[in-house]
Amino acid sequence: MRLPPVFRLVVRNFASNLDPLTIIIRFGQPAITIVVLGTMFSSIIPSSVTGGSSYTDFLVPGMIAFQMITGGVVSGNLFWLDRRWAMVEQIFSGPFLRSEYLGGLVLTTLLFSLVGVGVMMLVGLPFIGLPSLSPLQTGTVLLTVGLGSIFFAGLLIALGTRLRSANAYFTIQSFLQLFVIFLSTVYYPVTSKTPRVLAAVFYANPLTYAANTIRHAFQASLGAGDLVALGILGALAAVAFGSAIWGFRTMDLGPIQ
Amino acid sequence: MAIEELVLETRDLGYSYAPGRFAVRHLSIGLRRGEVLGLLGRNGAGKTTTVRLLTTLLSPTEGSAIVLGQDVRTGGRALRSRLGVVLQSESLDFVTVERNLTLYAFLWGVPREVAKSRAEEMIELFELEGARRRKPWALSGGERRRFQVARELMHDMEILFLDEPTVGLDAIARRRILRYLKQRADGGLSIVFTTHILHEADTLCDRIAVLHLGRLIALDSAEALKAKHGGAREISLTFSAPLSAATHAELVEELARRGALPLPTEDASVPSGKVAFEARRAEELLPWISAWSQGRGLAIERMSVEAATLEGAFLGMIQGTAEDEEGEGDAGLSRPPSSSPESEGGAS
Repeated sequence: MRLPPVFRLVVRNFASNLDPLTIIIRFGQPAITIVVLGTMFSSIIPSSVTGGSSYTDFLVPGMIAFQMITGGVVSGNLFWLDRRWAMVEQIFSGPFLRSEYLGGLVLTTLLFSLVGVGVMMLVGLPFIGLPSLSPLQTGTVLLTVGLGSIFFAGLLIALGTRLRSANAYFTIQSFLQLFVIFLSTVYYPVTSKTPRVLAAVFYANPLTYAANTIRHAFQASLGAGDLVALGILGALAAVAFGSAIWGFRTMDLGPIQ
Repeated sequence: MAIEELVLETRDLGYSYAPGRFAVRHLSIGLRRGEVLGLLGRNGAGKTTTVRLLTTLLSPTEGSAIVLGQDVRTGGRALRSRLGVVLQSESLDFVTVERNLTLYAFLWGVPREVAKSRAEEMIELFELEGARRRKPWALSGGERRRFQVARELMHDMEILFLDEPTVGLDAIARRRILRYLKQRADGGLSIVFTTHILHEADTLCDRIAVLHLGRLIALDSAEALKAKHGGAREISLTFSAPLSAATHAELVEELARRGALPLPTEDASVPSGKVAFEARRAEELLPWISAWSQGRGLAIERMSVEAATLEGAFLGMIQGTAEDEEGEGDAGLSRPPSSSPESEGGAS
């Protein structure tokens, strides 16, 4: 039986561009963070700072939120490499639509993020135990990571449609990743002692909304604020992905150096 | 050709990448089933743009192109699924050559067993056995190109577009690929083939379209093009006895008056019976040379005329077009073509 074009593209994305080493590094880095950072900081950060729970309890949901970056970066880089190595043009000369290629990237992102969520849960298991999440809480976690992944994938794909230099793309991507991760509540909370300017930047960062919402889901304390956060994340994902679609429709398919 | 069915027809096809700046304009060509059509032209002549227009990678800004009965503007996936395209740019996936082949076949929906046996066939045909387990970056330039052609042949198609498929290939690999393509064409596959290696076009193509600055300047068989635009060819004469300096000078002067270009001999100061020159219409000069020799009681021991080459014809066409444009004082593309091509595109 012939798979629909989108799924064929997803299989190809996984088979062709994701070598085992890359996968290990992508998932290994946040996993090591949970193990090392979690262990070391748990003993020196008082629970009063992290809302009454241990630092590892605080960190694991953060690292789950982090998976939206991982998934987004995977798709952004996949697209960039396809463009650089003229596979975008080659694929479009075959029986595929641009929307299917884009759909394939989105599905690859979501699958990658989903696997990442599973890996983080597994790694966090010895530290925080098995979280008892209701279907609503589980759904919230997955929806948050999914929307966040689409946001980052959209952002990087849009960037990839405009830039013609690998150096520029990877420099911007690395800077963006660094900025988004460290100016969010993935590793530390925003407290009353956080400088106002920095706090404002934290709250302008979609990863903060994602990390906080996932944390609330883990703590069974989801509220109206989280619904707003999801709405904001959804809107940002729509804008970023809309930009990617626009970039896709207008980009030159020819090879780049 | 037994079957005259047109699988591709363009009428006044054009593409402008900016207002008034055309990469291709007024292109009217046709392709019959099982025919190999060569697209020749200098760099920037519009060959790649033409391939991209005909494979829906670009949308025409002028005219029309019907490929396999479908308009390239609206044919989309249904049309592309019947085409094969080997692009000029190197396109690669980061897996081994063998996996690349089967993965590409998977993308095209080729059943696994068929893909497997076809991959073996392609690996053998394109001499990729040694590269089977290597990743693309570990391949030589020629291997990459061979791989790229092999990969495209993993799926079924009705028209194959090849944009400079033999760049970087050695003579043996080139001949092997050309022979295979000829076999496929004999089996009914239509092929559009761009190249800068004119001998290849001469060998493989049933007809050749010559593009210059985005416009079609000739469309005919290689033989017809050579006959019409053969260009300057070398004529060598060996008289039975050395010519005197005065006779030699007279012959050279007469030949020059008839548009021939005398070529230097090994040592001009030593009287010899050898004379060589280049002439655009070599055949027309031969009766005159015979008459001239007989009139002076000179016997020609040997007379050879260089065979017409497609390269000579190509140079003749391009130079002729450039001269026409200089004469008209406008070499731009934004005006209609000054002359129609030798024969109408395929519809004949």
